[in-house]
Amino acid sequence: MSDIVRIEGLNAGYGKFQTLFDVSVTIPRGGITSIVGPNGAGKSTLLKTIFGLTKVYSGRVFFEGREITRLPPHERAKLGMAYIPQLENVFRNLTVWENLRLAGYDLPPSVFSERIEEIYSLFPRIKERLGQKAATLSGGERQMLAMSIGLMRKPKILLFDEPTAGLSPKLAREVLDSIKALNRQGYTIILVEQNVRAALEIGDKGILVVNGRIAFEGKAGDLLARKDLAKMYLGLGE
Amino acid sequence: MPVDINTVMNSFIYAGILSLLSLGITLAYMTTGVFNFAHPRLAIIGSYAAATVVAASMAYLGMKPNLETFETAIGVVRQPLPLSVYALGLLASVAAATAAALVEYYAILRPLQRRGADFLKLMIATLAYDFILVAGLFLYSTLPYLDSKASEANIGISSTSMTMTSYDVWIWSGDVVIRGMFIMGVSATIAVSVILFLLLFKTKLGIKMRASVENPDLARVLGINVDRVYAIAWAISGATAGVAGFIILFGTHVLKPISATSPADEIVVSAFAGSIVGGINSVFGSIGGGFLIGLVEKLFTNILVGVTGYGNLLKFGKVFSMAAVVIVLLFMPEGLASVRWKRALGRLLRLRFISRGVRSG
Repeated sequence: MSDIVRIEGLNAGYGKFQTLFDVSVTIPRGGITSIVGPNGAGKSTLLKTIFGLTKVYSGRVFFEGREITRLPPHERAKLGMAYIPQLENVFRNLTVWENLRLAGYDLPPSVFSERIEEIYSLFPRIKERLGQKAATLSGGERQMLAMSIGLMRKPKILLFDEPTAGLSPKLAREVLDSIKALNRQGYTIILVEQNVRAALEIGDKGILVVNGRIAFEGKAGDLLARKDLAKMYLGLGE
Repeated sequence: MPVDINTVMNSFIYAGILSLLSLGITLAYMTTGVFNFAHPRLAIIGSYAAATVVAASMAYLGMKPNLETFETAIGVVRQPLPLSVYALGLLASVAAATAAALVEYYAILRPLQRRGADFLKLMIATLAYDFILVAGLFLYSTLPYLDSKASEANIGISSTSMTMTSYDVWIWSGDVVIRGMFIMGVSATIAVSVILFLLLFKTKLGIKMRASVENPDLARVLGINVDRVYAIAWAISGATAGVAGFIILFGTHVLKPISATSPADEIVVSAFAGSIVGGINSVFGSIGGGFLIGLVEKLFTNILVGVTGYGNLLKFGKVFSMAAVVIVLLFMPEGLASVRWKRALGRLLRLRFISRGVRSG
């Protein structure tokens, strides 16, 4: 399997505050890669770095073999990356329709309506809410809208930053199921999750980040089976 | 009636000017988070550009203002300048104010923001820009161009002191004179509101603008050039100041570039008050807020003078408008825009209904 994203010797953080140290990982094309780890370990930072939202001190980031270390986020969006933030991932004061319109603002009308239909078939509930302001959506619906915004340009890879945070277990399950469904349709996915077991169960690859360093990289099932790591860092004591 | 019709018209002209200026202040604040203290001066830049273009084009045409009245279908009219000259003046005012606003954004505020300047530093920078504009106006007033063109066209202004109220259009309706700038002040406010509504809610650019205001990071993630969207907002802010500048020139009193009674200095407090009363994050609130402040400051004060017969009150118009600010904010801390007018209206109607029910029962 070829790698869609490759990171080499990365040192990154926010301003002068370094959170990632000498990180080298690869993200396989076509799979779900779950990034897990304790709070504040740097898993979100790793995701944000892939999308260009942090300060990179040294090291390199590649997307489909092309170096993108210094590329601004809106350029990465054009290359086929979609980043779905944990919070404030929809425009609350715009209607659902306006959110979608905005996400596909530069698509030709025929492509736009094609995408819209795809999104309706994925998330039928979105269609019922078109005229509503996004602020009035429930947590689960908002997460679906956020995913729809990300899907509008038919990206090659979707970067999810804790998509189930703040959702009830039932809704969290629904969101993870739709992420899995997206993956079956061919989207490559990187998933940062605090819900470790669920994330590793749907994931193909697992990456464990501890104190800004990679503590494990391999099959998700293998990480789940590592009792020592699971107990120490993931709160998965038997 | 305690006030005459001319005072009413003057009050509405002033309210229209404030409305347009409050709107521009709000637009700039909403997009870039900058309190632009130079904003009223942008309007004065527009006034000067309009005066210059009017004087120059009259001199070029070899015409003098025509103060005769004539009969038309709508009544007796006095129109001192050709319509095309008014239009050119308006265009010049809008162009100059827009240019001055864009220079402020691109040359001063954006570079400072990129270097991480906070709200306070940006505010002081706008004050500095205001002083630069004053110095520019002062320099301009020492050039002989405007004065020579004005005397050539027999227009009674000079570069240091000008008012063109006598070249405003007058329309007689019976005994009452309706002034062109009264119509312009009210209709420009309405027109700008309608155009902005359509722009913000019916166009793709409008959606981008609202998105960039609400969550610039997410907008950037979606590939929107947020900086350009902000620049367009500043251009609109400058353009509306230009319209206000045109109305100031033809509708209000003497303009002096630097003096205690320069209209920009007099207006700045009221324009900011209008913007804040409207709810600093609402475009349409600011339009209403500007109008409210303008009417309280001029109309209410004049009515009070008419009722009490105490003419000195006229000097204290700002006391009443600022009192209005305090009262509005006491009851609606987020400004006029925060009130859910539909619900409030419904509650009022219900109240009447209930009291009627009580009476009948």
